[in-house]
Amino acid sequence: MKEIIKITLALTISCLIAGTVMGGVFMITARAKQQSEIMNIQQSLFGLLGYNIHHPAPPGVVLLHVYRYIVEDDSGVCSGYLFPVQHGARAEYGFLILNQTGQFVAQFPVADQAEKLINEADRNTAVQTAAGASKIIRYADDMTIVRTGDQRTAYVLMGKFSGFKTFIHALVALNPDFGINGMEITSHEEDPGLGGEIEKEYFKNQFKGKSFEKLQILTVTRDPLPEDYRQYLETQKWQGRKISQADAAVLGEKYRRADIHAISGATISSTCVTQGVKQLVKNFAYRIALLDRAIQENRIPAAF
Amino acid sequence: MSKTTQTNTQLFFSGILNENPIFRLALSMCPAVGLSTTVMNGLLLGVAVLFVQVFSSCTISLIRNTIHPRIRIPTYTLTIATWVTVIDLILAAYVPVAYKALGIFIRLIVAFAIITMRLEVFASKNEVWPSFWDGMGMGLGFLLGMTVLGAIREVLGMGTFLGVDLLGFRPMLFFVLPAAGFFTVGFMMAIFNYSEKIYKRRKGG
Repeated sequence: MKEIIKITLALTISCLIAGTVMGGVFMITARAKQQSEIMNIQQSLFGLLGYNIHHPAPPGVVLLHVYRYIVEDDSGVCSGYLFPVQHGARAEYGFLILNQTGQFVAQFPVADQAEKLINEADRNTAVQTAAGASKIIRYADDMTIVRTGDQRTAYVLMGKFSGFKTFIHALVALNPDFGINGMEITSHEEDPGLGGEIEKEYFKNQFKGKSFEKLQILTVTRDPLPEDYRQYLETQKWQGRKISQADAAVLGEKYRRADIHAISGATISSTCVTQGVKQLVKNFAYRIALLDRAIQENRIPAAF
Repeated sequence: MSKTTQTNTQLFFSGILNENPIFRLALSMCPAVGLSTTVMNGLLLGVAVLFVQVFSSCTISLIRNTIHPRIRIPTYTLTIATWVTVIDLILAAYVPVAYKALGIFIRLIVAFAIITMRLEVFASKNEVWPSFWDGMGMGLGFLLGMTVLGAIREVLGMGTFLGVDLLGFRPMLFFVLPAAGFFTVGFMMAIFNYSEKIYKRRKGG
């Protein structure tokens, strides 16, 4: 009996010490970790819009985040949108709930600052308090509306879709007509050397310049990638011997309507990305139309 | 194995050569096969294992007299898990590039056979300083093994080294797939054993 108590006590103390160490390190690093994750996504986002350290965004450009939630209550499943609204000079957030067909259901103000809402846990609490405890809310995805002056100049969608084994997370930049400006894979777990090639330039840049109409019928072809097309796509790799702008324009025009060339040995991953991006853009085009109409009909002073 | 009679230098080098975790002890085969697809992966995981091994060895060696013998295995696991979590958190916060490449694999270090084995046969019976050198040797041995495997598989499978295109084509694509890890480990073991045989024969004759 004495032995049992001794062992239990020893294990408990060890666990407590281990827990304290882990907790302490977590407390110290939590903020830095969150910061680096946000920075990472922010960097990809700016990169997609064509801005980097050497070409910073001009001052007139404003990025507005719209977070989409799934809202469930007794009456059914609805979509909730959290977006910035402008009350004169005072900027705050509004949470708008629309049903499946885009009809207005409810609207709540959310008083928190934009910086606080970047953090997912804080944002979920803020939305939950605004919407009331009777509703079940689930975060779905995030889209960014880029505004220059009064004009919408681009959209950036943040989404995930299934890959060969697990989810692929991607950012897709769209122009105002929902044509693709660029695509970036932010995280994936495809096989290195095979499906992992989806993050390489020669694959992801194939999506660049595809119009919304073309996107509807976009498919994956297993034909090999033509050599001149590959050189056109790999802009960073061939930086030294850059093809001239005129040549690039000709090549871009030549392959603008081409289907996506699958990565050799990774047709499934290629198809997954193509279908995922298609679905993402299609859903977004539908949802933004509903959201815009609801905002107009209800005279909500949205910031975009 | 009771208290060691080897000097610290001997301990250090035995981990790298005579008792190399991958090629001689054939421990921790799972990461050796699964994760050595590129040089960078091998190197990063090797560094992570090195840190966990050294810290865990030192910790266990420090508290070796207070561990109840019946619960030594849970205590080892707890120690390793703590250090793995600490390294996981630090990497995620300050080296996001490495964290992105390794991701879930860091957490798998908890179950690596080589670390528990060194704690059981060495650190729990020896002073802190020899345990430190033993951990260093074993960790470095693992790191070197992983890097060599990664180099072979990356060059043969993808024609690149550290992501830089060497050959311009892919000689044998299947080398990046998990199954080819077994071939590579097997060949390396054979080379290790063969060179030892030759070395002994030369010394003897």
